[in-house]
Amino acid sequence: MAQDWKSFEPLLIPDIPNLEKIDVYEENGGYDALKKILNDRDTWSRKSVIEEVKQANIRGRGGAGFNAGLKWSFMPDPDGGARYLAANGDESEPGTFKDRKIFEFNPHLFIEGSLIASYAMTVDTIYVYIRGEYLSWVDMLQEAVDEAYERGYLGENILGTDVSIDMELTYGAGAYICGEETAMLESLEGKRGYPRTKPPFPAQNGLWGRPTTINNIETLANVPLVINNGADWYGDIGAEEHPGPVLYGISGHVNQPGVYEYPTGIPVLDLINDVAGGIRGGKDLKAIIPGGSSTPPLRADQLDGVTMNSDSLKDVGSMMGTAGLVVMDEDTDMVDVLWRIAHFYHHESCGQCTPCRDGTGWLEKVLKKIKDGEGEMKDLDLLLDVGNQMEGRTICALADAAVWPVRHTINRFRDEFEERCKKSVHAVA
Amino acid sequence: MPEVFIDGTRYEYDEEKDEMLLQFILDQGLEVPFFCYHPSMSIPANCRQCMVKVGTPVKDQETEEYELDEDGERKIRWFPKFQTSCSTRLQDGMVVLTQESSEEVARAQKDNLEFILVNHPLDCPICDQAGECPLQIQTYKYGPEGSRFEVKKVHKPKHVDLGPRVTLDAERCINCTRCVRFTEEISETHQLTIVQRGDDNYPTTAPGEEFDDPYSLNTVDICPVGALTSTDFRFKARVWEMNQTPSIDITNGKGCNIDLWTRDNEVLRITPRQNEEVNDYWMPDEGREAYEQFNENRVDRPSIKLDGDNQSNTSWNNAIETFAEVLEANDPSDITIIGSPHASVEENYAFNKFFNLLGVRNAKFTPHVIPGAGDGFLITDDQAPNTNGCRVINLDEAEDASIQSTVAAAKVVIILSDNLVGREVLSTSDLDNPYTISLATNHSKTTKASDLVIPITCVAEHAASYVNIDGRIQRSYPAKETKYTNRRLNLEMSEGRLDRFGTNFDNWVSEENKVDCLPVWDFLNKLGDRLGLDFKYDHSREVFAELSSSIDELQGISYERMDEENGVQLPIEQKEVKA
Repeated sequence: MAQDWKSFEPLLIPDIPNLEKIDVYEENGGYDALKKILNDRDTWSRKSVIEEVKQANIRGRGGAGFNAGLKWSFMPDPDGGARYLAANGDESEPGTFKDRKIFEFNPHLFIEGSLIASYAMTVDTIYVYIRGEYLSWVDMLQEAVDEAYERGYLGENILGTDVSIDMELTYGAGAYICGEETAMLESLEGKRGYPRTKPPFPAQNGLWGRPTTINNIETLANVPLVINNGADWYGDIGAEEHPGPVLYGISGHVNQPGVYEYPTGIPVLDLINDVAGGIRGGKDLKAIIPGGSSTPPLRADQLDGVTMNSDSLKDVGSMMGTAGLVVMDEDTDMVDVLWRIAHFYHHESCGQCTPCRDGTGWLEKVLKKIKDGEGEMKDLDLLLDVGNQMEGRTICALADAAVWPVRHTINRFRDEFEERCKKSVHAVA
Repeated sequence: MPEVFIDGTRYEYDEEKDEMLLQFILDQGLEVPFFCYHPSMSIPANCRQCMVKVGTPVKDQETEEYELDEDGERKIRWFPKFQTSCSTRLQDGMVVLTQESSEEVARAQKDNLEFILVNHPLDCPICDQAGECPLQIQTYKYGPEGSRFEVKKVHKPKHVDLGPRVTLDAERCINCTRCVRFTEEISETHQLTIVQRGDDNYPTTAPGEEFDDPYSLNTVDICPVGALTSTDFRFKARVWEMNQTPSIDITNGKGCNIDLWTRDNEVLRITPRQNEEVNDYWMPDEGREAYEQFNENRVDRPSIKLDGDNQSNTSWNNAIETFAEVLEANDPSDITIIGSPHASVEENYAFNKFFNLLGVRNAKFTPHVIPGAGDGFLITDDQAPNTNGCRVINLDEAEDASIQSTVAAAKVVIILSDNLVGREVLSTSDLDNPYTISLATNHSKTTKASDLVIPITCVAEHAASYVNIDGRIQRSYPAKETKYTNRRLNLEMSEGRLDRFGTNFDNWVSEENKVDCLPVWDFLNKLGDRLGLDFKYDHSREVFAELSSSIDELQGISYERMDEENGVQLPIEQKEVKA
């Protein structure tokens, strides 16, 4: 639980040298979960694997926090045709850089998790979609995949059973939108990364029209832990409604930025002060963004007693997201921060549907105007209004992700924005 | 029958049709604004303009009965977000609020239009699409009063030649992807795609590729803004200056339904007219380029060969006198008449009947087919619009060789509207010996080789019917005046917008563009007078009425029926058109 986080031993990326090598991984109990299932299929039927994972309540680590086992259960019954698992390693939201640690330090845990997921859902092919900028990490994972094929964990008749599963790696070309699950499917199919209209959902109509489940890399890496130790054991780690170990990516004005593995439910301030070594230069904390740039920022005075789990963050008006924590010290210019975030979403909007295509640009341009000292007071209300016109009216959630930081940064740091507008060349307006 | 409630009114729908809400709304004659939706293509729901509020009635899980509120009304569970009606499937009991009854929906649509206009250049005064622009129309109806966008618009490529016929202005584009979907789903050339991201994106071809799709100009029609314009028509005329007259494409055997757009008695462009039975919303580019032949290179006044090879214009009186003298001087058995798959049913019939009255043998005709020219879609091997029409009225279908031998044996050859020399059925020298009379719309190698040329009306100038390769009879309307017709007296001619709104100015002011020609039946009236024949028609309608009473396949068919039913399928055997 939250109190004893200091004694927590990492599970996803344990401190074992050369764990990325299959020999070392096997020596340390690697692929045991897969063997356990495949050697005892009476106990571990496909249904019971899904049930166990559902019980464990692994909340999706890609940002939405949806119960992974429940998601698996949406797959229709097999009809003999192809079924896919698409593993989402396109992490490209500012502040998020955790999946690559798994590719680098414990790739077999992810491969094993994907295999268990594929067995449970009767999937025959796993596609791993990796962020285009992660070229070296693609190589690292490919090495691990090759090893797994050699040892018979991947390919035809895995471990001598009738289960055959392939894993294919593919990488993006630098578009944030391809991390949106249906845009990723389009991209995997070789098309423009345009999100699809839902329904139909991927479980019914996914890759090439076939049933497909999309899971985040870290989510899949949690699966072997559940199978090895049981859903109850997993449920006891961290916060009750959002259990398990999490890779916290901490960036910004801290002394020791990086990726740290701790249970959910760790106090935000502990994470900043103890784990990441406190604020750089001994300055005061001004604000945090708790889980990647799309999650609403929080003021330092909102953080007392707040812990890193979905309920606690929801209470103060934010979200867990990807647990990519961005820390900002007292000297941070929030207008600048918000402009930079808005610039990102403008640049990354795919342009398929109207409110996002033209709204993200509008937001950025008005924020630029304010940042450059040419803003007017009416611009602040305009920003909020444009945001309201965008939210909930688009095909995917990118517009919402672009609007939330704008709305909450302005509302939570309104003084700062007003001051900038008052000093502007158009002061009285 | 399952039911839906739209703005409080109950409608029943047919579950079998599996219709989407927007199409259903449109089918009821109601309106919801939209841009990206097109009934013949897939639904991307990307413009977001057709947002409506949708709810479904709450049912008791056990009894399956509708749950009622205190007032005895059905309880409605509203969708948390607005739904794009184009992509919403009808559901029994569904309740829909459009902009007509919901302030919220009207506001959401207005918001969306504000976004669309943010990066649109608003250059309507210099844009060809103005006047027929869905964005312009819907902005006036549903859009915001002004814009709150006070920062810089995005700049994108302008006047880009995408291909030989289509010009792109990327700034005007609203990224509805209709053009891209057209090349993917309809013409299947896959030549267009969207490039760039966000508000920088626009449609274009792959690098170095040309947009030379044989159907490329359809993208101009379906573009809901002025982003794609016809390179040929660009800047030629404003939409409201032109009259739109329904007609039939005569460049191949499909008989695509079209509209002729005229100003000052010139046809300025051709666009497809929807007909699910024939061409849906589309037509080949080739058919659009045909408009020039209605204006240019026309046979204007009769001409006659007096000395050697030189033709000179002559009066109608002289032409009729010469024609009559030739007929009187020769035995009917020495006269050969050749009908034409390029001419209408009425023209062929009147032509054949007239000479039959004089004792001349039945007219022959030869189909104009280029094997392999067709594409199985709207371009056919058959190069003529009325091959089946010639068959229906029982002209003698002949091979090219048979035409050649008949011509060689004849002393007089009379050719109706068919460039037999140009399409190499005959050579110029074949026409050296017989006295050759051409009834023609345009100058050609055949008219050049003729001794007497009678100018006749083209499809843009007369009402006449054509039978396409599938045996469907469809008709044209006069779209431009000839020297002797008067629009005010010819009720079949359409009115311009200026006329309709009561100005004194007439669109058909240019005498210069009126061609000195006659409908075939009218010319034959005059020739018949001179010869003392019992041959008299006041209108092509009379010709057709006579046909429909005498030919089985045409029984019960009239111009009115063709108008009402958008053409009529004839009970004729499908015949392979051979070269």
